[in-house]
Amino acid sequence: MACPHLDYRESDGDREFDVARAFCTVADEFVQPVHADVCAERYGLDPESDCEIFRDRAGLDWDE
Amino acid sequence: MTYEEYLDGKPVVITAALTGGIHGKETHPGLPETPAEIAEAAAAVEEAGAAVVHLHARRENGERAFSTERFQTVTDAVRDATEDVVIQHSTGGTAAPDALRAEPLCTDPAPEMASLDMGPMNRGRRLTSENTRDTIDGLHAEMRERGIKPELEVFNNGHLNEAFRILDELAEPPYLNLILGPGTLTPPSPANLQRLVEQLPDGAEFNVIGFGPHQLPLTTQSLLLGGHVRVGLEDNSYLREGERATNAALVERAARIAGELGRPVASPAEARELLGVRSRR
Repeated sequence: MACPHLDYRESDGDREFDVARAFCTVADEFVQPVHADVCAERYGLDPESDCEIFRDRAGLDWDE
Repeated sequence: MTYEEYLDGKPVVITAALTGGIHGKETHPGLPETPAEIAEAAAAVEEAGAAVVHLHARRENGERAFSTERFQTVTDAVRDATEDVVIQHSTGGTAAPDALRAEPLCTDPAPEMASLDMGPMNRGRRLTSENTRDTIDGLHAEMRERGIKPELEVFNNGHLNEAFRILDELAEPPYLNLILGPGTLTPPSPANLQRLVEQLPDGAEFNVIGFGPHQLPLTTQSLLLGGHVRVGLEDNSYLREGERATNAALVERAARIAGELGRPVASPAEARELLGVRSRR
């Protein structure tokens, strides 16, 4: 499983990469490697509980 | 680890943290990610004066990798590209399970040194590097079994307590890395670094990391206090405001300042002698 907002892209229009990299379609920017583990749901991480961008988009409060 | 050692011109060990695992080319296009890029950077920093290289491994797409296989590829490339530099593997890994954190210790040959985090550190709102005592003790046991010199990563003052807890288990000299920066790191200031150094055990050697704009002033302070320095793109992307750095440029600057202050730059062989590192070159 992976975040529905995760895409892998070689370009964002300004920058080009040889290998497609994690891209957040909500933030409209490439994702830092440490955060890509959340996007990819590795090591028990989950966008719904661990990603500020996902939670803001979903309208979730941090108390929920 | 004293001002007197500075006055005596004790050699300084420069460690270069080449890539890390937090940010990547999305932050700095020149940051080395592939084994070939990391090896090229390692050769350049060795030429510039680094005695130790701190290594992480990545997937092809720049994301973090912890497997022995990926570390083996990186470490083999670095060994081939360098003359004698000491190789240090990271065992850090926010959220990664303990078993995966131990994999960088299992390359053949084993790394000469490895980082050993002394406690938790927050990243952002929800991410934490837990580093429980079980994690620390498990990784440390693995290092001792493989003859790997641990560098104790002290993210804040409280982590000194954890370092003291395992002091009797450490080969001489204990080697602690004092890390100052944002979040749950020690707040970066000369006074806080001074206070940390004053609390170190007798006979310990120490290294200093300052994140971002704190790299230059706090590593320079370390030179005056008889300590060692870590620089590199893992910790700091800029040479000065608005000017992106290279790993080699950061090492060249550290070596130049050390020379101006009368601290000769340690060769890899001298670093092994100073820090009690078993050579695997």
